[in-house]
Formats: sequence, C-alpha cells, structure tokens
Amino acid sequence: MNAIEVEHLNKTFKVQKNREGLKGALQDLFSRQYNEVAAVNDISFSIPVGEICGYIGENGAGKSTTIKMLTGILVPTSGKLNVGGYVPHEEREKFVRNIGVVFGQRSQLWWDIGVIESFGLLRKVYGVGENDYKKRLDELVQRLDLGELLSRPVRKLSLGQRMRCELVAALLHNPSIVFLDEPTIGLDIIVKTEIREFLKDMNRQHGTTILLTTHDLQDIEALCSRVIMLDEGRIIYDGGLDTLKSRWGQGTRITFQFGNHCPLPRLQALTSELDVSWTADNDLHAEVLVPGEMSVSDVLARVVGHADIAITDIKITETTTDEIVRQIYQTGSATVPTPAVAEGGPHSHA
Amino acid sequence: MYYIGLVVEYLKNYMKTRLTYRADFWVEVVSDLLMQASNLIFIFVVFGHTNTLGGWSESEVVFVYGFFMVPFGLFSCFVNLWNFSERYIVKGEMDRILTRPAHNLFQIFLENIDPPGLIGSLIGLIIMVISGGQLGIELLWWHIPVLILFAISATLIYTGIYITLTSLSFYSDSPTGIIPLMYNIQNYGRYPVTIYNRAIQFLLTWILPFAFVGIYPASLFLGRTEMTHMAWLTPVMAATFLTIGLTSWNVGVKKYRGAGS
Repeated sequence: MNAIEVEHLNKTFKVQKNREGLKGALQDLFSRQYNEVAAVNDISFSIPVGEICGYIGENGAGKSTTIKMLTGILVPTSGKLNVGGYVPHEEREKFVRNIGVVFGQRSQLWWDIGVIESFGLLRKVYGVGENDYKKRLDELVQRLDLGELLSRPVRKLSLGQRMRCELVAALLHNPSIVFLDEPTIGLDIIVKTEIREFLKDMNRQHGTTILLTTHDLQDIEALCSRVIMLDEGRIIYDGGLDTLKSRWGQGTRITFQFGNHCPLPRLQALTSELDVSWTADNDLHAEVLVPGEMSVSDVLARVVGHADIAITDIKITETTTDEIVRQIYQTGSATVPTPAVAEGGPHSHA
Repeated sequence: MYYIGLVVEYLKNYMKTRLTYRADFWVEVVSDLLMQASNLIFIFVVFGHTNTLGGWSESEVVFVYGFFMVPFGLFSCFVNLWNFSERYIVKGEMDRILTRPAHNLFQIFLENIDPPGLIGSLIGLIIMVISGGQLGIELLWWHIPVLILFAISATLIYTGIYITLTSLSFYSDSPTGIIPLMYNIQNYGRYPVTIYNRAIQFLLTWILPFAFVGIYPASLFLGRTEMTHMAWLTPVMAATFLTIGLTSWNVGVKKYRGAGS
C-alpha cells in the first residue's frame, strides 16, 4: 500500500518582472509583465507505507514546494495527489489530522507560554483524548529527554531544545505520515544524531512513513533507504542510496607518498594489466583511481614491495555521498557517466 | 462544540501570556478608552455649536455612538485582521495554520483574539443606558434580544467586509493601504446617514454598509420610524456580507503561494 502517490504533479508560479530604473518602475505600475516559473515540473513518485524517503536538491529545486503541496498548503497547478487516502488541498482539515509537519525554519509552538501549555493547546486543536495524550506525551518526553524543559517558555530554549519540542508538537496526535522540512538545520552534531535516532525508532516502532528534505546528506545516510533527487523542478534520481553510490561513486582513490622519485610512466607500467588511471602532481606524489568492482589490494600488491619504490605513506579514500551529490548538482543530471569520462585525469576533461 | 472549546482554550492562553506582560494589557485598555473618549468629546463639541444634526438631537447621536461601540468592541476582540498580511503572508505563518485541523480563518481569529476590546462594548452599553435615560426611552421586553441580534449582525458585517478586503492579500503582496482607510470610513456609520449627500449615503448603505453597524440598527431603539425598515435589514446585510467575505477568503486561500523556503 502506498502512503503517498504523486502523478504528473506541476506547480507554476507567476513571477512579476521588474523593469530597471525609475522609468521601469513607473511602467510596472501600469502594465506588469509576468514570467511563468515552473517550481515543480511534472513529477511522479509513490512512497509505500513505512518507508523513510529523503528528498534532496539544491536551494530552489522545488523541494519545499512539493512538500507544501503534499501537506495541503499549496494547491497544485495540475496533476494528481493522494496522501494517506486524501487529496490534501481538497479535504484539508480532515487530512491534516493524519499527518505531522515539522518546518525546521518555523515554529509550531507559542512563543511566550511554557512548552507544555503549547502541547495542551495542540491537544485540543487535534482533538486528542486525555489518556492518549498523556501516554503519548510521556513516551515522547522520555525518549527525547525533555523533562525539565517543559515548563520553560519557548523563547528561552536553545535551538536544539526547541527542535526537540517541535518534534513532539508535530507528533502528539500520532500521525501516520510525517513531513520534515530541513529538521536538522543549524543543529549541533549531538542533537542531529539524537533526532536521527529518534526518527529511526519511530519508524520502526510505529511504522510511520517519513518524507524529509535536508541539505545534510548524513541525515539521508543515517535514515533513508531511498532518495529522490530534484533539480529545477524535475526528478533526476529516484532510488536507493546504495545504487546511487555504486552508479556514481568513482570507486576508491589511493594516494601514495614516495620517499624517492617515482615517475608516472613507471607506475602505469606496473598496473598495465589493470584498468586504473594514475595522476601525479610531481614525482613524489601520485594518485590512482580504482573502479568500484576492482579490489584495492590488487592494485596495492602491484605497487608495494619494489626495491626502487620507497613508499612513505598510503591513504585510501572512498568517494563520499557529498562528493557524488555535488557532482550531480553540477551536471544537473543523474544519468550514469561513462567510465572513461569519469575516470580520466582531472585535467583531461571538463 | 469543538470550536467553542477552542475559543476557551485560546482565551486561557491569552490570559497566561498577558499575565507575563501585565503593563501591556493596561496600556492597551487605557489607550482604547482615550480614543473612544476623544470621539465622544468630538460629538459634544459639534453639539456645542448646533442643537440638531440632520434632525437628530445630541442625546440621540450619543446613543447611536454607544450602540456603535458594542459591535465594534466585539469585532476588535474576536476579529483582528489588522496585521494579517504581514504576519501570515509575508512571514509565511499561514503554512502552519494550514497544517492544522480547524478552519484556517477561525484559527487566525483565535490567534489574534484581543479581549481588551470588549471593554469598549461595555462602555458602549453604559453610554446607551445613560443617554437612553435622558431621552426617556423605556426598556421593553424585546429590546434585549433585538439588541443582541443587531450587535451580532453588525459584528458580522464588519467581519464580512474585513475578510473580503484582507483576502486581497492572497493576490497582491501588500494591500496595506486599504485597511486603515476602512477604519476611517467605518466611523461615518455612527452619524445619521441623512446628513451626507446621496452618493455617500448609497456607499454607506449598500457598498460598504457601515450605516448598518451604527445608525440603522440603533434607530429602532430610538423609535425613529423613518429607518425602521432599514434596521430590520441588518441581519440580512450581515448574512450577505459574511457570505461574500467567506467566499472570497476560501477562493483566496487556494491562491496562497507560501513564503520563502
């Protein structure tokens, strides 16, 4: 069963064109020119119940716009939407009882009153029964360690404390689908880890479906089995994080530091039977790129142990998700690059 | 039932917040009262120069002013859309409102609830009693229920007009000029409309029906028979303008574009 179904979803905004200068401003006063900007451009995907899905993309790629349509805040220009059995913008008030929303940059809580008072008010708004509320609150407070924060007003909380309270506020009514828009923005590493752990547990225990946007790929690595990548309003990748890594990952990079001069041709000759590519800044330093399917030890075995090559240091690094994603953002496409291009030296291609 | 419960909860919350900012509360009450007092003084000054205003005596005009204060107090307590555009559209707080399971407009009313406004209504009632006494009006059995009906209808007329105007915020970025202008125009409704020229009378009766929040309904209690039929139109106007307001609001919400990230 799918928790979220999206078919050919579009959202275009009319953006006013501002002409230059005072004369332009006067012209704008009487006749305005508009540009149509497609924030979300014909996207389709579905998320099964109980999945944690990461939604990533550069700033302005259309992530928030999608989330806002999925939560019923915005009305789509065209396309079909079904979230938890509802069309979000049509039956908004019934629909939102079933979802939880956290916007990292906005607060759900009342600024001046104690956190617990905010929770009490939300209980009434969502019509949660007294017993359910107590049980749920106890569970959340214990899990997120909020005990002594509850009586403090929100304006006196640190960002990390506030964020944990925001999570409780969004989850008090025990929603089956949760949307998180940059939930870890601006948080320190400890709170980030805590929140990730918490979300993972919630997903495991309650089978909650989670869709989250983030710029921190560690969130994605820690939580998501699946990522959807967006660029200029289009989906450019939808699938497992592992697949993304193995398809885009350039394999492993081995960096050698030599004690004596070791020219590049010599190294290339040693590994001539293997399909690897060498690069070197000078004779004392060289790098080799080993494709994913090849074993690192094969390459090492061929280089290490020659009397004329004194190796002082070896460093083995794997391409990180950050690098992969940066590369995809730059090229604007997630189609797999041909190995020849991906593995050439840094100066041989653009 | 659900919605009445929410009103109570939000009022409680209001009180909790206000207990932290007590000085603020009293400053608001006092400045409200000073504004009302200056309006009243204006009426006295006018009648210092003339005995009647378009055939209405000083006590009658003061009585109308007293009535006018009752729905205005209710309106400013429960329907406060003054900074809607800035707070909910520009800052994007509408996002939060729309993800909660109560009607969005109702939530906005609740979040901006402002009980000190009710003190104005109370003073309005006192003014009506005093000037009614001076005019020798006897309290009849139907006065109280009709007063309640008219006060609520007038409040809904305000509500309808202001919802309609505020819903423009969903289309334009900042129609901020209109609301203060309206607050000025609505004051015309507390004087006998017959003193204005025909165009303004028409405007105040049918386009921006502020005559129905003051002079028309109040005239019924004063026994001014020439306006009786207009007085009884008050609930009809309320229903009409509230419908227009809610419709344009609901259409506007669909155009909401969100803000920022």
